[in-house]
Amino acid sequence: MLVPGRNAGFELAVNAYFNDLYRFAYWLCRNRWQAEDLVQESLVRAWRSWQGLRDERAVKVWLFTIVRREFHRAVSRAARPEPVTDADDLASSADMASGMDLTRALRELPDDSREALLMQVLGGFSCSEIASALGASEGAVMTRLTRARQVLRRRLDPADARGMRQA
Amino acid sequence: MNCLELRRAVMVDPRRLDTEALAHAERCDVCRGFLADALELEAGLDAALSVSVPHGLKERAMGRARDDPRLSRRYALAAGLMLAIGAGTTILWRQNDPLALAGIDFVVFEESQAILDAKPSDPDDLARVAVQMGINLPWQLGELRYIGTCPFAGTMAHHVVLKTAYGKATLLLLPGRTQLSRAAAVARGLEAVVAPATGGSVAIIADSSRSLARIEESLQNG
Ligand SMILES: [Zn+2]
Repeated sequence: MLVPGRNAGFELAVNAYFNDLYRFAYWLCRNRWQAEDLVQESLVRAWRSWQGLRDERAVKVWLFTIVRREFHRAVSRAARPEPVTDADDLASSADMASGMDLTRALRELPDDSREALLMQVLGGFSCSEIASALGASEGAVMTRLTRARQVLRRRLDPADARGMRQA
Repeated sequence: MNCLELRRAVMVDPRRLDTEALAHAERCDVCRGFLADALELEAGLDAALSVSVPHGLKERAMGRARDDPRLSRRYALAAGLMLAIGAGTTILWRQNDPLALAGIDFVVFEESQAILDAKPSDPDDLARVAVQMGINLPWQLGELRYIGTCPFAGTMAHHVVLKTAYGKATLLLLPGRTQLSRAAAVARGLEAVVAPATGGSVAIIADSSRSLARIEESLQNG
């Protein structure tokens, strides 16, 4: 072992956050197979630059940031970054969801709004943490989150969305 | 806080409302209903996002990460060098310059807080400091997101955040910190260089070597 504890620290971090990282990858790709590749490639990258366990929260933001960066790298490599949605995917996520509508609405959110919402709900990050991870201003992140929730509410209950626009 | 402000806060993050917002929701029936609906949506979101994780994926991913051939080669080389010189220190880490590494740590662990804590500074001040240090600020490379001052590595840094075509980049102008030669580090998914400047140095931290190279080049050539 070259650096004592390096391995164990990495394993702890991956154990703690793997499910959230996979779900983040899944909802970025909206496809199970791409998500599996994405999360594996991200861990390869993470391990390469892993130097030890720091503040837990910072490690979590860092891992999410790597997944997001790898996703954008993959998208920019692909000629046409359309997510391939197979029926299995929709069925399996719908099983878990309280409703098919919400799942579908989530899939159809604009990319930047979905990304911010995923970091908030799956990562549990604050607006300032999301802003720094996305390289955006905090105001822009707040706008994206508001838009995401407006779209979801509108999709689930069109009457409710009218109330929201007045807000 | 009024009803409009409460609704705005709820749409941004209904799970992290401050005490003022919660107090408003407590005394205002309409907003209490609005918040209840919002929290119901959050519960639905939690359920919808919780897709099942494929069985065995974590183990496969961990195995692949640790078997990464690029890394194994680097380890083999480092281990070989260690044997050759008989030193017990970690060769791998020595490649990273401490100040450049501190720049990366600053971006990962402190930058967002520094931005929140600092008073944004005057662009003219920054321009003056840059002229004194013989640096051409690379505005043409991207959009200026933030400038401010903050403590860094025992000195006061002029902190600049740029959004470039290659991604986000951070510059730390360090007038008080002289540097004799260029130093670099790669860590935490980021790359950094510290370049000597007149009467000080400048640290550049970016997420790709391409972005780093472009910025470094334009700092020197304008
Ligand atoms: Zn009210």
